[in-house]
Amino acid sequence: MSILAYNGAAIMAMKGKNCVAIAADRRFGVQAQTISTEFEKIFEMGPQLFVGLPGLATDVQTVFQRLKFRLNIYELRENRRIKPKTFMSMVSNLLYERRFGPYFVEPVIAGLDPVTSEPYVASMDLIGCPMETNDFVVSGTCSEQMYGMCESLWEPNLEPDDLFETISQALMNAFDRDAVSGWGAVVYIIEKDKVTKRFLKTRQD
Amino acid sequence: MECLIGIQGKDFVLLATDTISARSVVAMKNDHDKMYKLSDNLLMAVCGESGDTIQFSEYIAKNVQLYKMRNGYELSPHAAANFTRRNMAESLRSQRSQMVNLLIAGHDKVDGPSLYYLDYLASLNKLPFAIHGYGSLFALSIMDKYYLKDLDFDAAKDLLIKCLNEIQKRFIVNLGRFRLRVVDKDGIHDKGMVHAEPDESTK
Amino acid sequence: MAFSDMMSYNSMKQPLQDYQAPNQLHFNPYDFNGGTILAIAGEDYALIATDTRLSQGFSIHSHDNPKTYPLSSKTVLGCCGFHGDVLTLTKVISARLQIFEKDHNKQMPTSSVAAMLSTILYYRRFFPYYTHNLVAGLDDDGKGCVYSFDPVGSYEREVFRAKGSASSMLQPLLDNQIGGKNQQGYVAQPLPLERCVTLVKDVFTSAAERDIYTGDSVQISIITKDGIKNERFPLRRD
Repeated sequence: MSILAYNGAAIMAMKGKNCVAIAADRRFGVQAQTISTEFEKIFEMGPQLFVGLPGLATDVQTVFQRLKFRLNIYELRENRRIKPKTFMSMVSNLLYERRFGPYFVEPVIAGLDPVTSEPYVASMDLIGCPMETNDFVVSGTCSEQMYGMCESLWEPNLEPDDLFETISQALMNAFDRDAVSGWGAVVYIIEKDKVTKRFLKTRQD
Repeated sequence: MECLIGIQGKDFVLLATDTISARSVVAMKNDHDKMYKLSDNLLMAVCGESGDTIQFSEYIAKNVQLYKMRNGYELSPHAAANFTRRNMAESLRSQRSQMVNLLIAGHDKVDGPSLYYLDYLASLNKLPFAIHGYGSLFALSIMDKYYLKDLDFDAAKDLLIKCLNEIQKRFIVNLGRFRLRVVDKDGIHDKGMVHAEPDESTK
Repeated sequence: MAFSDMMSYNSMKQPLQDYQAPNQLHFNPYDFNGGTILAIAGEDYALIATDTRLSQGFSIHSHDNPKTYPLSSKTVLGCCGFHGDVLTLTKVISARLQIFEKDHNKQMPTSSVAAMLSTILYYRRFFPYYTHNLVAGLDDDGKGCVYSFDPVGSYEREVFRAKGSASSMLQPLLDNQIGGKNQQGYVAQPLPLERCVTLVKDVFTSAAERDIYTGDSVQISIITKDGIKNERFPLRRD
């Protein structure tokens, strides 16, 4: 079995009209045994910038801490907020440094540009090969299911409320067909002047 | 085979560990202490590869003490747990990583009681209750059913006995007595040994 | 034996190892030719859809190869996976159905087709047909029914099921849209045929976007008491 599926995770991000959303499940398990249903996989990297890290839980925590460190140094040096695209390069660079002994995480990035408020989503593989899209990105143990849901439910220019409904339904129905992710979910809706965080109650099996 | 159990209550954390020191299929010792005192309000339970457990937990314990001497104040449970995680995460990608599973129980004046679950891969989780080892296969469901938020010591001990009964009943290995300790605002307290209750069918 | 003797004994043995080492040759009797099938049971109809692509690795063998096989006027089989096994299995089934018809002077009911397919598959328990199967049709009461199978004959009657290469993309959406999963206050209602057909076209279009083994076109077979009607809908061809 893949190391990437040892703890289980499902994360996706979507673009809307002047907003973005990022959502993740909340399970931490060791293979089939669920240990916690309050595990954090989405991290705030700025007022309007979030990163989701699905994969091996220990690397989720290590990569987040190392990213936060590099981000702090960047923002102190530059004395300004980082752009999502620059942050994506930072994540990519960090992962590629470990090209031949990688961190087992496949990140998802979602945010608004700090100046123009342009929506941005991107994902990458475990060695930092980036992929920017105009619609949505998915990553985790049920990525096929998430692609199926997103491809059918997503449409351009969704308003924040509709985007919330879309990403929630896409995520929940996808991870209900996966044995190692689910057990509750968290959804962030990122708009120009506010970020809304909602927890979803889902089936517990 | 080893078993570590932790339960967080209203103003304390309870830790229970089995007391068997095993080499292969032989129990060499049945009063082994698998808990390490990190500081006045911090207790760590350890299981895993026998050399690593002692080496690693003593390293952590002494470094926590060193921090206190250097800075004049103690690491909070949260900080100590993250310090331990960091050490393990760094050793994970070295030539020989530490094969240890930990439960860290602590009490902080500001944050209150807290229980941290840390596995050999260095995944850290703050949990209301946690079990390491095969015992978790039997006892985690008991915890899910009977654990209540803010329970007192007697309720926590009852819950622990329920878990031990189930482990005794269903697990083929006899883990014998469990050592019981509690961490609260006044420090670490020894609560002696606990047994599973005798099985109804064998009375 | 002296140490030096042992050395010479061992060095004598050395060249023999080349002859002793067993050398196993592998033959892989299976292949994967892609394809997705989907069946939904309605109140008085059953629907079974298939894409029409037949592929192997990165090459497409055929743009026009539907993976549904009409078995009688009220039963259709969906069968995909390894095309060689698909051909053999469908041949075996149609032979068995002809024998049944000659013996009993009637068509085999859908429930019996499903039971028979299960035994046919299980007879190959240790060298299975590498096929994912769905049986859709009308039951003895004229209601729509769908039976889904694993490659070794475990089967179950269901209301909707996707099988094949894009099944993991289709199934969660069906759970949501037909099963009403994760919808608060959802009340199960009979599914109108028109909505069903629209949904099938939508999900296949989605699957064709992401799955390289699904595409070209989707063929939808609608089974009612009046017989089987086929409909085609184009999909991505790349």
